[in-house]
Amino acid sequence: MSDCKTCPSVDNCYSAHEAVNQMQERLDEMGVDTVFTRYEKQQPQCGFGMQGICCQLCSHGPCRITPKASKGICGASADTIVARNLVRLTTHGAAAYSHHLEELAKTIKATANGKTPYKIQDEAKLREIAKVAGLDLNQTANELADQLADVILSELRKDSEEPLALLELFAPESRKKVWRELGVIPGGVHSEIRDALTKTMSNINTDPIDLLLTTVRLSIATGYTGLVGTVTLQDILLGTPELTESEADLGIVDPDTVNIVAHGHVPLVATAVLQAVESDEMIKYAKEAGAKGIKVYGSMCTGQELMQRKGTTASNYSGQLGNWLSQEHHIATGAVDLVMMDMNCSIPGMKSVADKFHTKLVSVDRILRMEGVKDNIDYVPEKVEEQAKELVKLAVDTYKNRDKSKVQIPDHKSAAVAGFSVESILGALGGSLDPLLDEVKKGNIKGIAAVVGCTNNRNGHDSKGLTIMKEFIKNDVLVIAAGCMSSGAEIEGLMLPSAADQAGDGLKAVCKALGVPPVLNFGSCVDIGRIGVAVTAIAGALGVDPSQLPVVASAPEYLEQKAIADGVFAVSFGLLTHIGPVPPVTGSPLVTKVLTEDIEGLTGGKVLVEEDPLKATEKMLAHIDKKRQGLGI
Amino acid sequence: MKQIFVDIDKCTGCLTCTLACAAEHSSSKDIVGAMLEKVQPRISVEAVNGKAVPLMCRHCEEPTCVDACMIGAMQKDKETGIVSNENNDQSCIGCWMCIMACPYGAIQPNEEEGIAIKCDKCNGREVPACVESCHTGALIYVDGKTFAQEKLTKTAKALTEAS
Repeated sequence: MSDCKTCPSVDNCYSAHEAVNQMQERLDEMGVDTVFTRYEKQQPQCGFGMQGICCQLCSHGPCRITPKASKGICGASADTIVARNLVRLTTHGAAAYSHHLEELAKTIKATANGKTPYKIQDEAKLREIAKVAGLDLNQTANELADQLADVILSELRKDSEEPLALLELFAPESRKKVWRELGVIPGGVHSEIRDALTKTMSNINTDPIDLLLTTVRLSIATGYTGLVGTVTLQDILLGTPELTESEADLGIVDPDTVNIVAHGHVPLVATAVLQAVESDEMIKYAKEAGAKGIKVYGSMCTGQELMQRKGTTASNYSGQLGNWLSQEHHIATGAVDLVMMDMNCSIPGMKSVADKFHTKLVSVDRILRMEGVKDNIDYVPEKVEEQAKELVKLAVDTYKNRDKSKVQIPDHKSAAVAGFSVESILGALGGSLDPLLDEVKKGNIKGIAAVVGCTNNRNGHDSKGLTIMKEFIKNDVLVIAAGCMSSGAEIEGLMLPSAADQAGDGLKAVCKALGVPPVLNFGSCVDIGRIGVAVTAIAGALGVDPSQLPVVASAPEYLEQKAIADGVFAVSFGLLTHIGPVPPVTGSPLVTKVLTEDIEGLTGGKVLVEEDPLKATEKMLAHIDKKRQGLGI
Repeated sequence: MKQIFVDIDKCTGCLTCTLACAAEHSSSKDIVGAMLEKVQPRISVEAVNGKAVPLMCRHCEEPTCVDACMIGAMQKDKETGIVSNENNDQSCIGCWMCIMACPYGAIQPNEEEGIAIKCDKCNGREVPACVESCHTGALIYVDGKTFAQEKLTKTAKALTEAS
């Protein structure tokens, strides 16, 4: 990790975070493999796969495009194979995001009918959205919520020929025009997934350009359902984020309490568990087991969701342990009793580490199963109150097996501010975006960079993301972070107002005046939808298209398929989108050229591929300058 | 002197060795970079009735390619035993005499640059990149005596088990 300068562990440097390196050392001594060591054993990796020119669809394959064979057995070119593989990756992302939204819509429906422990938290937002959706506002909040859930469920399911109403309601007019001209206004996301999967069966759609447009269409459908839709429903149900302070890193683990980790993306079970741990019955149960109390920590995006909701979950949430790459290292503290795994990003490697300690892994989502894990308490909205108690009891019972001599907690931790959203920013600015936009116009803030998405070992855990964030703020670019990138920034103290000292003079002055950090915590990866809402609001306030704004997106350590959908959505939205590591498209000259050059003429956005974080930031800064010139500021 | 030996039963035809070879001989030194630079691998994996067969220069004791090279670019290094047409006093002129002379087809033309290219055992690398990259252990870097002895032991063992 030549560009990593964030920690002193030179000899054992896998991560930008010292606590993770310490736990890695511990696991090395125990002879337990982790992502880091398994990654090394997988080297070298197949170049055909890395370039996207391997097709495994039919039993004539696998076919690879080599100097000797420029076509697959069926005649498919490198362009076809790469574009088809890209659609399939995007489909996975779209499907997973839809699952998240569907769980929420069903939960809101059950809540509206009084069958869950949740309550509609943001009635104002519910009424605002219900109004836009054309519902009769002369009803109770629960009646409206019930109907809105139906609207969302029918949006998810409607035909691909029927335009997505959520897009019609929430997208900027200028974007709709661009997408209409390209023929990529999607219908219901489930139908879009069906179409995309059908198209990518061997020998149905082999036109690389049509396949690329399918990727764009699928990503836009995901943007307005799985991203914007999910964020909106989560706010209605659990509350819109408000500014609040929390803590992050492994040093927050309390050796004297029963410790539960909420890991994944969907914060529903975790919210019920946070309610359950407050009950006298559970506290008594924990004390009888010899514990001081019960604490719930977050890992990955579920943690981010819990952290940012002041009114519901943040008050008794104990902080963020880390992100995707450190999930095995959380358990290595020996002080984690229960990991509740929801939806995606629970790696099988976690089980191998859990087996070396007393830790119990439990799936809390019907779609998640893990080899060797026997406890599955699948979320059912109507039963979640009881399920939460069952989970807490399981954690306490597991705590009894904890070997205290094996507990080793690194002493690193940082405070972090969370809860940024369009609403909380407006609140901080006195109800209008103008004070922020004035600073942009004056040049104190040169632009805004969304540094989002996963974390990836290929570049060194969080090191590229942190380097890019630091470089941006140094150059007076305000950073908005979401997803695993948020965790990384929290741990390294970038989400504190004091981090303004690392910013350039202009941004520093703005941050000091407002008392905000230079890297704003926008929460989880699904909150990329919230960034979309923010960019839409800024474009609206200035009366321009998103593609004209001095705004860039960077997913410097992208890992999985949801991120592909996010990235293509950002490009479709008109943003220069830096993606690292290099996505598996370089084997197709056509796809590479379309994504990195030609698409700019169509959507205003394009993919920037640059592995060097400093060079990447330089190019994004140049883009911001170009856009400022375009706006005459 | 160590040579690259092949345990043909173990080769699955994944072509990783060809990619690692190209990466080692590229300016970027990584696989994707080498593919984009279109660097030609110096090891081949041929298919015979679907069975993958890796082939590379044997760095012969009496190399016919060296004899055939009229310009004197192809030389066998006395110390390392590496047969190569690179970094010697004379430069390859692309006459392809070596290609004709090699009994194994281990030398390939690089038509763009007009020079013959062949395995150079990664020119001083402790273990050649192809061997290091092989996931199945089909490529082995040992001296001839060790390889022959291992083969003898294996055969003897198989004979005992069969009786």
